[in-house]
Amino acid sequence: MLRGAEIVLQCLRAEGVDLAFGYPGGAIMPLYDALRDSGIRHVLTRHEQGAVFAAEGHARATGKVGVAIATSGPGATNLVTGIADAKMDSVPLVCITGQVRSSLIGSDAFQETDVFGMTLSLTKWNRLVRTIDEIPLAIAEAFHWARSGRPGPVVVDIATDALKAKMEFAGPVKFQPHPKPADVHGDSTFSETLIALLENAKRPVALVGAGAKLSGAIADLRQLLDHLQIPTFATVHGLGAVPVDAPYYLGMVGMHGTRAANLALDETDLLMVFGARLDDRVTGEPTRFAPHARIVHFEIDPAQLDRVRTCELAVIGDLAETIPSFYDQVRKVSLPDWHNWRAIACGIERAEQDPRGLAAPAIRFLDELFSRLPEDSVVVTDVGQHQMWAAQRFRSSSPRGFITSGGLGAMGFALPAAIGVQLAKPETTVLCISGDGGFQLNLQELATVRRLGTPIKMVIIDNKYLGMVRQWQQLFYSRNYAETDLSDNPDFVEIAKAYRIHGSRLDEESMADGNFAATSQAIDSFLHSTQPELLTFECHPEANVFPMVPAGARLSEMVFEE
Amino acid sequence: MQAFHIHYRNTQGTLMRILNAASRRGIDMPYVQAIPNEHAHAVTLLLDVNPKQTGQLCRDWRAIIDVTDVRAGALAADMTNAGDWSAPHPPASVSAPAAARSAMA
Repeated sequence: MLRGAEIVLQCLRAEGVDLAFGYPGGAIMPLYDALRDSGIRHVLTRHEQGAVFAAEGHARATGKVGVAIATSGPGATNLVTGIADAKMDSVPLVCITGQVRSSLIGSDAFQETDVFGMTLSLTKWNRLVRTIDEIPLAIAEAFHWARSGRPGPVVVDIATDALKAKMEFAGPVKFQPHPKPADVHGDSTFSETLIALLENAKRPVALVGAGAKLSGAIADLRQLLDHLQIPTFATVHGLGAVPVDAPYYLGMVGMHGTRAANLALDETDLLMVFGARLDDRVTGEPTRFAPHARIVHFEIDPAQLDRVRTCELAVIGDLAETIPSFYDQVRKVSLPDWHNWRAIACGIERAEQDPRGLAAPAIRFLDELFSRLPEDSVVVTDVGQHQMWAAQRFRSSSPRGFITSGGLGAMGFALPAAIGVQLAKPETTVLCISGDGGFQLNLQELATVRRLGTPIKMVIIDNKYLGMVRQWQQLFYSRNYAETDLSDNPDFVEIAKAYRIHGSRLDEESMADGNFAATSQAIDSFLHSTQPELLTFECHPEANVFPMVPAGARLSEMVFEE
Repeated sequence: MQAFHIHYRNTQGTLMRILNAASRRGIDMPYVQAIPNEHAHAVTLLLDVNPKQTGQLCRDWRAIIDVTDVRAGALAADMTNAGDWSAPHPPASVSAPAAARSAMA
């Protein structure tokens, strides 16, 4: 006879789980009581949001399912931001929450919330488990849905009496999904159609998103792009999918994308999308998006099609299957010579301009950091100006080398996510970049960093503002900096010291040529430390992120200075 | 107005996910009827949607794990009369003041 909690843990082990992040509480206590000798390492974070972001970081770095555990009521509500984040960014995540006793469910009992209802619209699948006998199938089904198709978050909410109850347990079960009707499969003749579109295209381009990475199709995609040699760009989640030195690669596209990428996307007559949702940060004003283009959309999730414009050709399916299938056909035909178009799109006239203005020192600082990172390093960013600067300057070709909260844009993501990444890749340099605002949303996780001794390299770009909001206030709200002033920030180096983490600081003066030898040494020392390290960089309060496509504008209508 | 007929396995939350696809877009649902249908269940919705929303909704519904079929269909007569009976019921205390008073006692 095993308790329900022990059955949960055995089922997790059967799914390959050896690490979970969580925070205990009343209703989930039976699970914590059974953790010892379960074979699962549990990492105690200092807030449930820290646990779910750490689980996300682990999942994003490995492609495996991340696991977060919390108790009922406030424990579960604190998971919600991370669940929404995982849904937007297609991260496989299983959240296990304790629920009040089954006899009390629905009675507004102490620490009761309707976790099932609350997470319904944020999950691929969720389940309220009321009895012990439901546990094995619920866990198996949860993992199946989290990792199948377009990955995403699931929630298993288990009544505490089900965790305490005992039953004979024959072992973990396998979940067999019901077959879905075959009404959304890709047309098997799509290659012929797409080749015909390419043969008629004068200005074809490729846009690469996260789906190319999630499907494990990077090698196939790179082979196809090398064959096509058409101007190519990436979303923020697509960074690293295309080698940065590929002669046809134009960098990041979208609101803060490169000039070359945004102009090519605006001018194209055939847009091939590989695993991207085409959200509004990528498209600019949707009604003015790629106005001359026919769109071909390679996508695993039919729900993502035609969100902006009706596509000419939808290629529905796993990119690991559809891209090789297309390559097998397209390599046999003679395609038009797009040399002239490539020369325009990738030409020197559209090259990135040297960083200028008030942001130049911060950008130079990031360049210096990135230039010293080993190729397999992982950069984890928070949300805001530093995120876009980092995305613009990121120069790695490592597919899982840039991790950020892209779809939801959840400030506070970086530090806990970096913990998950570092645990997944203990030998890898993990560079965590935050702003001064976002860092304070989850700075309690410095305690987790200290406890684990994970040698995360934490950078805070400190402009003493909620910088991205302030930038919009400057540009679109007549410099009315309403409630974005953080000039009374704490001393982050002293905060780190309180957690027994070494901290140091640089500022814009440090980037001046005369001071650079010492600065270079400080950066090397920071990156080569075997301990967790914090480095603050004070930048100008009114430094902005450019280029910028203002809200409502077309991608070609970029702004380059205030 | 457009009618939609959706077949689904009646697992936890599936009907709610179907309805949520409309409600999260701020689309009113003047008519909803869910009934058992052979081995599965079926829900019929009447929605005021444009062609783009129709496409998005149908794709969202198909993506729900236990939805088995989605079809856009014709209006039935009883749907257009839905307004006759869709008004909210009055609170019980209005129609049964004595019972309410005894409950308060």
